[in-house]
Amino acid sequence: MSNALENTTHFGFKTVEEDKKADLVAEVFHSVAAKYDVMNDVLSMGIHRIWKRFTIDCSGIRKGQKALDLAGGTGDLTAKFSRVVGKTGHVVLADINDSMLKVGRSKLRDMGIAGNVDYVQANAEELPFPDNHFDLVTIAFGLRNVTDKDKALASIYRVLKPGGRLLVLEFSKPLYQPVSKFYDFYSFNILPKLGKIIANDSESYQYLAESIRMHPCQDTLKGMMDNVGFEGTEYFNLSAGIVALHRGYKY
Amino acid sequence: MPLDNLLCGLLESGVNKLHLLDASAQQRRKQLDGLIIGVSLKEINKPLYFVISTQQIDILAKYEGQPDCFIRLNISALKELQNNHQLTRLIKTEQLEVEGDIQIVQQFAQLLTEMDIDGEEVLSTKIGDVLAHKLCYHLKQCTQSAVKQLHKIEKHSAEYITEELRLAPGPLEVMYFCEQVNDLHKETQALEKRIEQRFSR
Repeated sequence: MSNALENTTHFGFKTVEEDKKADLVAEVFHSVAAKYDVMNDVLSMGIHRIWKRFTIDCSGIRKGQKALDLAGGTGDLTAKFSRVVGKTGHVVLADINDSMLKVGRSKLRDMGIAGNVDYVQANAEELPFPDNHFDLVTIAFGLRNVTDKDKALASIYRVLKPGGRLLVLEFSKPLYQPVSKFYDFYSFNILPKLGKIIANDSESYQYLAESIRMHPCQDTLKGMMDNVGFEGTEYFNLSAGIVALHRGYKY
Repeated sequence: MPLDNLLCGLLESGVNKLHLLDASAQQRRKQLDGLIIGVSLKEINKPLYFVISTQQIDILAKYEGQPDCFIRLNISALKELQNNHQLTRLIKTEQLEVEGDIQIVQQFAQLLTEMDIDGEEVLSTKIGDVLAHKLCYHLKQCTQSAVKQLHKIEKHSAEYITEELRLAPGPLEVMYFCEQVNDLHKETQALEKRIEQRFSR
């Protein structure tokens, strides 16, 4: 393989140079940040709330623990974690995109959440935290935008305490053919149009649909987690596999 | 299970919506700030965990840590939980089991049941004072007359059954019958005694 091809990665269905992907993803999220919550509700018909609830139930988060909400976007999970861990705990909301982080921060402050939450702009591949620091790391709908997923998983593994767990909530491969057909139609025909109407941005939502197709399927991602050292990895299919929650432990 | 999550979500948003309407709710949540209370109904055996903070109440279907207080109770005891004086009785009759501070249980029950919501006030912000007042006034009158009608129907049907159809006896008849039974009972006892006396002789 030629050298030029080795340093490329996928951005949706396009192939781009590796060092460009982060910027391209950043552009997408800069443009959707303001309408992010509304769009989530509209596009998933509110089901994303149930997926996130399921994630919280699987997290085993307790009072006084430290949690990292990676690619936390507008802080849905952070808000819950902050209330559960209480005053003695600590939650870090990290996102690579400062627009998203700002929207998240102002939203959480408006809700009255302060004191045990910190906001950090960080790249998942190079997490700026000490080793063995967090009891829980979650990354919800973020991993597929990361350029080097193995590096990100290894970095997460490093910052987790022994006994800590990682939860990856991400779009995945639908289990049944009819669901898959409908889902394809929805995401390539309806979703960009909705994006155009509500956020006035069809390209970002075109990218969303494409990036979901390029994301590794359930078993591949499980294998990737096993490779960086996670143990007891398992996954739960939600909504017939449209979304999957992967869970892995560090012992 | 996603179904649990759906139910928890609905319950949570319901409770919090109601709390938003109640001005004193935040104050009462403050008393229990940071506490996690597990509640399990004996009939369903599915615990729910209430995470209380000044901002809102979160309801979780799973919590792996030790809750500050765990309550196990019968569905029938749910209604009586409102009444503080009933708590000890409920515990004695084993309708209610508490692990943890009983005072927390009382405050928690108050938090959920004693909601001081002024429906008319809430409505008035949406549709204006006059309409809200009219609506509430008529609603009140309607319920009053409905209750009155219900009582009437009850009375009439009772009379119809006892007087017209004669399916069931009226109150006086029942009393008369009971008296007769009592008399009979007494007479049999007397007779029994007499027979005993005769045979023992």
